Amino acid sequence: MNRCLSWLMIAAIGLVTGCSKSAQKSSTDGSKPDAGKKLTLALMPKSKGNAYFISCKQGADEAARELGIDLIFDGPTDPDPAKQNEIIENWITLGVDAIAAACENKEGISTALRKAQQKGIKVITYDSDALPDARMFFVNQATGEGIGYGLMDEAARLTGEEGDFAIITASLTAANMNEWRKHIEARLSSKYPRMKLVATRPCDDLKDKAQSEATALLSANPNLKLIMAICSPAVPGAAEAVKQAGKTGLVKVMGLGLPSENKNYVKNDVTQSVILWKTVDLGYLTVQAAAAVAKGELKPGAISFKSGRLGEVEIKGDQILLGKPFIFNKGNIDQFDF
Amino acid sequence: MKKFSRELAVAGTLIALLLFMAVAAPSFFHPRPLLSLLTREAPVLVLACGVALVILTRQIDISIGSQFAVCSVCAGLMMAAKIPLALVVPATALLGICLGTINGLLVAGLGLPSIVVTLATMVTWREGLRWLRQGQFVTLPENTQWFGLGQESGQVLLVVASLLILAGLAWGCRNLHAGRRLYAVGSDAEAARLAGIEPRTVTFFCFAFMGMLCGMAAIMNVVQSPQVDPKSGTGLELRAIAAVVVGGVSISGGRGTLWGVLAGVLLLACISPALTHLHVAAYWDKAIQGAVILLAVMADGLQNRRRPAGGKEH
Amino acid sequence: MNSALKGRLIALRPAIFRHEFILLLVVAVEWFYFNSVGSRFGSIDNTFDILRHSVEIGLIALVMTPVILTGGIDLSVGSLLGLCAVFFGKFWRDFGFPIELAGLGALAVGAAGGGLNAWLIGSMRLPPLIVTLGTFSLFRGLAEAMTHGVDTFTNFPARFLHLGQERFLGLPAQAPVFLFTALFTWVLLHKTTWGRSCRAVGFSREGSLYAGLPVARRLAGVYVLTGVVVGLAAVIYTSRLGQAKADAGTGYELFAITAVVLGGTSIFGGTGTVHGTLLGVAALAILNNGLVHARQPREVAGMLTGLLLILALSASALPRLAGRMLDRLKAAKKQNQRNL
Repeated sequence: MNRCLSWLMIAAIGLVTGCSKSAQKSSTDGSKPDAGKKLTLALMPKSKGNAYFISCKQGADEAARELGIDLIFDGPTDPDPAKQNEIIENWITLGVDAIAAACENKEGISTALRKAQQKGIKVITYDSDALPDARMFFVNQATGEGIGYGLMDEAARLTGEEGDFAIITASLTAANMNEWRKHIEARLSSKYPRMKLVATRPCDDLKDKAQSEATALLSANPNLKLIMAICSPAVPGAAEAVKQAGKTGLVKVMGLGLPSENKNYVKNDVTQSVILWKTVDLGYLTVQAAAAVAKGELKPGAISFKSGRLGEVEIKGDQILLGKPFIFNKGNIDQFDF
Repeated sequence: MKKFSRELAVAGTLIALLLFMAVAAPSFFHPRPLLSLLTREAPVLVLACGVALVILTRQIDISIGSQFAVCSVCAGLMMAAKIPLALVVPATALLGICLGTINGLLVAGLGLPSIVVTLATMVTWREGLRWLRQGQFVTLPENTQWFGLGQESGQVLLVVASLLILAGLAWGCRNLHAGRRLYAVGSDAEAARLAGIEPRTVTFFCFAFMGMLCGMAAIMNVVQSPQVDPKSGTGLELRAIAAVVVGGVSISGGRGTLWGVLAGVLLLACISPALTHLHVAAYWDKAIQGAVILLAVMADGLQNRRRPAGGKEH
Repeated sequence: MNSALKGRLIALRPAIFRHEFILLLVVAVEWFYFNSVGSRFGSIDNTFDILRHSVEIGLIALVMTPVILTGGIDLSVGSLLGLCAVFFGKFWRDFGFPIELAGLGALAVGAAGGGLNAWLIGSMRLPPLIVTLGTFSLFRGLAEAMTHGVDTFTNFPARFLHLGQERFLGLPAQAPVFLFTALFTWVLLHKTTWGRSCRAVGFSREGSLYAGLPVARRLAGVYVLTGVVVGLAAVIYTSRLGQAKADAGTGYELFAITAVVLGGTSIFGGTGTVHGTLLGVAALAILNNGLVHARQPREVAGMLTGLLLILALSASALPRLAGRMLDRLKAAKKQNQRNL
């Protein structure tokens, strides 16, 4: 009796809502918006709760205000690879005009992005790319090769091109860090034969775990000359480990991190260089580009693009380049607050 | 001796591991990194003691990681607002008690299963904290690191403090009424009730106490570095619970001692640095951790083969 | 009112307070609320989205129901999904199996993983919580070790990707698989003696032993079944995403447990229903989807899930509590009458 009731009610709900909504066309064709309608842009970070993407959002919000468009910022809170796809599919149903995504999984997310493109939604990527046929442009702060080579070159400069070093990464499955690692190792073997990569340890994006890993690395490898932390919480974590081990200056610390998290370490010479790019500008440029693509002003084949306060930005093929990575050091780190 | 066979087995495994490391990679025993390791594990030990008490009463608390994170961030914010440490410590402990009380009210008051309640509170606190902080670190003022005592003294202080807490709780479990009540309720709640011990009161205070220990562990963690990472509690609950069960506390309540927990925490904490010293690739970490937990549990199971299972196992 | 009808209505009263009914109301309220807030929420496309996104997690929740019914728990399902996905990719790409055989291989790996849990929990009688906590790390670790974390498997043939991404007879292609498994699980748990013995084991292991039920075999069977269905979920997941990676399925175990408990299955075992689990999955899936349409951030979904879980459990606990309080009041009243 109770069960019958349950099934009856489920069927009833299905009928009622099915009837009410099937009349409404579920067209999600994002054809050119009417003149008066506000553009809706959906921006996705690799994961939420990440200070790096929050600073991108600052720039994105600025651009959205300037252009008068509606910005949705959402992303997975779970590390599961499928979550990004699910959010994108929800946005397709929602009928946004353009999507700009930082991709955790190149191939996986392309499945969903291609679907979006099929429905007429304009797709660009930023920070980490998808497969080229799944998006129109990739707003790149620097190429993966550029970042990898840049990190390796800086490491070589700090150690005088010889000695052992170790890498701390976020997780062994993080796609773009694995790409950087590939380029770092390629650069290492081709240009710096007297340097050796002794270990690569993951820190699960946790500062405290990075500190524990760095402590173990320091004691396991007495000849370690440098720790390269390629995930942003790992840079202050490794620096704290070096400081607590009393090896400031003996073991160099460098990596990709936010200036605000590393100010004190840089000023006290624990960390030598923090490399990043102007994340605020990255967010700003991404929204500008996405809006331009949605309005049809930016088309494939363009070689440059005027993006608000950043002026003319170069486009190489289908990559919109922000510029070169920026090295934060003692001299300039005070000027930045992100 | 037989009564402590479980704890001795874990301690034996730990000693075997240490002996192996002494031969294969003696660099593991450099004093400074070892002290750093123990200091980083001090908050985990405190949490593990707390969750051991909860497990002794036949409940479980998987929200300790999120409680720890909330307490850490709040302590950090208070310290950043220049509130003196002497006030921050009790305030954080009080916050921990409040969080623990919520669990306690739902489990003891409403009679809801603890695993589900703490699952719900874990998710709620974690997502709420993430929403509020968005991954941003909390920067602490200069003089708060190591309670202002300098690194060496601070580290020794933290390690000694965690061991004192452990010893105090272990003594309390054996000699205080409150401690014995935990074992009574965990062994058989109905029998305890008939003996005049109200299980719900014991459970409630157990969760509140766990919350306080979360607050204290949070302080112990926050003073170790100049910044607080809001993600700091991630995975702690699984580490603490695994350490507790590996250390011989029965998941069905009523059995186990805190000394086993110490061995369990140390054993699990040493695995990752040991692998680093042995230059084993990082992708073997999780598999080996899992294998160690399984072997420890199997050893427990083989030993208790003939003991009849009483009531519901979980 | 005629007395037969009255009798029927009175008999209905407990039904109204049944957990599944309350959950049904919750699902209905969610649906109507999000319909009013989000313009595209109730559309066919969105409904199919919800369905497609919940198939893998729904399969895991379905098969978690017998596990929890026996008074156990399985925290390793998410990690096993990752391991099966990695093996699936390896079988197809590195061993050169045809895709169908690779799929069967994934099911076999799932069965093996479930078998390990089954052996430790059923034969060695170890506590399920800690065994599956160990296998949670072990399976994920094996997946990472096999791929060094880095390797991913992609470029699957189009006919395979059809399963996860395209439609079949107008419904998302994975829907028939899900419906079949749901029906199978429902029949298994509600209509067969196998299912009934699961409840018995959960209710009282000792009692079942003395009643002559093959407890160890039943427990083993439950975990192996879980493993096989997780393998199936891994194949569908890979097809939907177009990629197999070591970290697939991270966090799925907690979602599944939440859905099962939300659906009214007691975590201590002995009582629970498959339709409850389905309603639990629906409630959570609609919540997650609806909040995107309501332009709320993801974190709100997490917090509301926690809140929903507590409210749902409290709601079913309230009648019991109210009953207890009424009993106490009655006893106190009697005491007063006696004293007068």
